[in-house]
Amino acid sequence: MIDTSDIRKNLKVEIDGYPWIVVDFQFVKPGKGQAFTRTKFKNLITGNVIERTYKSGEKLEEAAIEEHEMAFLYSQGNNYHFMNNQTYDQVEMSEDQVGDAKYFLTENMKVEVMYFKERPIGIELPNFVELQIVHTEPAVKGDTVSGATKTAEVSTGFKLQVPVFLSNEEWIVIDTRDGAYVERVKR
Amino acid sequence: MTTGGAGHFFPENFLETLTARHKILHAIREYFDTAHYLEVETPIMVLSPGIDPYIDAIHAGTGFFLSPSPELQMKRLLTIGGVPCIYQITHAFRENERGYQHNPEFTILEWYHSKKDYVDIMQEAEQLIYYLLHDAGLTLPAKEKYTFPFLRISVDAIFRNRAGWEPSCQWDEDRFFLDWVEKIEPYLKSVGGVFVTDFPAPLASLSRLKEDNPLLCERFELFLRGIEVANAYTELIDPVEQTQRFKNSQGKRKIMGKESYEIDTKFITALQHGIPECAGAAMGIDRLIMALLGIDDISKVQTFPFDRL
Repeated sequence: MIDTSDIRKNLKVEIDGYPWIVVDFQFVKPGKGQAFTRTKFKNLITGNVIERTYKSGEKLEEAAIEEHEMAFLYSQGNNYHFMNNQTYDQVEMSEDQVGDAKYFLTENMKVEVMYFKERPIGIELPNFVELQIVHTEPAVKGDTVSGATKTAEVSTGFKLQVPVFLSNEEWIVIDTRDGAYVERVKR
Repeated sequence: MTTGGAGHFFPENFLETLTARHKILHAIREYFDTAHYLEVETPIMVLSPGIDPYIDAIHAGTGFFLSPSPELQMKRLLTIGGVPCIYQITHAFRENERGYQHNPEFTILEWYHSKKDYVDIMQEAEQLIYYLLHDAGLTLPAKEKYTFPFLRISVDAIFRNRAGWEPSCQWDEDRFFLDWVEKIEPYLKSVGGVFVTDFPAPLASLSRLKEDNPLLCERFELFLRGIEVANAYTELIDPVEQTQRFKNSQGKRKIMGKESYEIDTKFITALQHGIPECAGAAMGIDRLIMALLGIDDISKVQTFPFDRL
């Protein structure tokens, strides 16, 4: 069991038979009163978001989620295929299950596939991935304002803001948690 | 627990916040000095932290605590003849309180006025906020968000409207606080300044019960944009009733498995010798600054909140 003081972002709990992940939480305490943790959860299967208020000291049940490292093979239509490189087991997940991770998946990328009650329910990406820019406008000459950015599209079709000095075919590191540019890499 | 990620760096435009903070503190002193209040100091290290079921004190060496509130000492100062009104701005400390509106160490303003009651203090609190917003020569971004006079609404009325029951005659503590955070607080965020008055007697703390209805006490809280900024009472000055309240709080702490605190016997002795009829308020200065500047995270108005130490 988990105590309210252990609540943190990305904690996975089971409520009403479903696995949920903590997306946000807040300590609240009315004057001269009991303390609470107001918690926002996302359902790992349906994507529903709910908010619950827990009295300090209340217990939550940890979700029994197993994670297995798998490699992304390919996508076909709305289906995404992964393989366990140890057992050669393959799983197929829908676009909904993969969620925003689809913007960062490249062939053979190692991801964690989450299983809840022996069913694959989603994937967890590494925090940082390297992707190649496939399209961005050339920098405008003389635009030397520090911190100036422009839009770039990477090989997965994802678009983000990058510094103006970057050009087509360069590789960059992206933070998969917020989709933000981190740095340029030489390959 | 999170405070919104204070981290290593200072927030953006922090000099502006610090400058505003300096000016607000200066203006508060100006307000009370002009009203002939005596500014006092009381110790941060105390022997008894007071006894509240939900306020946990921080230990400061053997037998001592960091004061969670200067209340008891300030009321004792009122026993000095010829001291009608006092104020102080100091630091207070509370264990396990960290969030967007909480930091274990915070700045508190307390003021006490003899021969006054909580309605007088309400007016004074309103005048103080008005002074800061309009007459102190400050330019505060949230100025337009507050209209005067502030709304005044009783706890029973607000619960009747928002939660469908009356706490004073159907007392249920767990239900009260859960409804407070889920139904009342979101409503309070939608109004500028509001005094929530007349709390149910079980939440009287150190306040006097109403003579015409002992199910209620003479206590109010002030909310600015949903931020709880001040708590005030007509002070309980009956030593017998006060001792009983402390014992009840001790009992509640015991049931909850919390550390027990000794009753401050010198405070009780002062009550026996006679503290004048009085009323007073405690105002969270960090939160006041948040409300006046339109900032929603306490770590952005303190120089070194817990996470930046």
